[in-house]
Amino acid sequence: MKDNYLWDRSGEGDAEIEELENLLGTLRYQPQPLEIPAGFQVARRRTFFPALAIAAAIALVAAGLGLWLNFSRRPAQRNEVKRITETDQKRTVERQSENKPDNRLARTSAPKKIRKARSTGARNLFASNRTHRHRIETAKPQLSPAEIAEKEQVLTALRLVSAKLNLAQRRTQSAPSLNLIHNQHKIG
Amino acid sequence: MLEAEATADMLLMTQPLTAPDPVEQPVEVILVRAVLAGEHDRFARLYEMYAPLVHGILLARVPRDEVDDLVQDIFLHAMRKLHTLREAAAFGPWIAMIARNRAMDFHRSSRDTVEVTEQTAVTNPPSRTAREILDLIRSLPDAYRETLVLRFVEGMTGPEIARRTGLTSASVRVNLHRGVKMLREKMGIGAAARP
Repeated sequence: MKDNYLWDRSGEGDAEIEELENLLGTLRYQPQPLEIPAGFQVARRRTFFPALAIAAAIALVAAGLGLWLNFSRRPAQRNEVKRITETDQKRTVERQSENKPDNRLARTSAPKKIRKARSTGARNLFASNRTHRHRIETAKPQLSPAEIAEKEQVLTALRLVSAKLNLAQRRTQSAPSLNLIHNQHKIG
Repeated sequence: MLEAEATADMLLMTQPLTAPDPVEQPVEVILVRAVLAGEHDRFARLYEMYAPLVHGILLARVPRDEVDDLVQDIFLHAMRKLHTLREAAAFGPWIAMIARNRAMDFHRSSRDTVEVTEQTAVTNPPSRTAREILDLIRSLPDAYRETLVLRFVEGMTGPEIARRTGLTSASVRVNLHRGVKMLREKMGIGAAARP
């Protein structure tokens, strides 16, 4: 069991190993105090937890702020749309009052404008609502007096046509027509 | 061939550092935590415990005159960098690696040291002094010379070497037996004299 002696000094001793131990043991470490120079500093273990916590808090605040801004702008856009629709409706009412036969055109044109305003608002959530106003204002063309006169003529012709069409429609939709020409003289 | 085997043993047979006996609470862990908590005086105890290991590792690699100064430097460096040690139980393997690296740095910076060749070793007379035998041990492969110095010079047992350096017991046992066999051959005792 000489191998055990080499391993943990147990069992039968080995003369050669003991001789080596005695001879080389003279070179063994001689305890000396550790000389620490003045001003020597030991670095402490860095903990990243506070930095991570601060970063996470900042990220949360930024996300919350973004969401709040997003939701706070949406009702403003709705109000703007409502305001636009109200103004449009007023205009249409004015038109109706000016031109009674033009009722149907006014009714059909108003919802189109509302749809347009809603669609542009949905596309640009963070855009200001000035664009809508601008679009509506620029839709009005600047007409010269001659053009206005031509326009009036066209409108008058259209009113006449529409009045005739209304009359024809009423006659066709009403009950079997009475003989409206019974008082007239027979031809031939 | 033997050197390659020893290196493989050293690299592959390293025992896990995080598997101490649950019953035996390592003193190193308590001391390292205390030093990191600000009790710098506790590092003196670590120094007392591990100075022989560092001394042995250096003695196997660098001239004896340089060893004492290097031991001091290594412990000061370890004290400064102790916060980088992740596993407190691995203080021994950690400081052993620092000592090996510092020995390599020493040889890089001063290449004019005299190496003991096999020829000079064999031609020496049979009765040798401690320094001559130490020079013979230094001519052995890295893994063998470190284990032999820790065993014969520093007086550590095999299990103690394994625990301090982080190597497995099997690896230390192999290094001891192969190292002693090679040393005998170099000393002229020869394999023929031993079974």
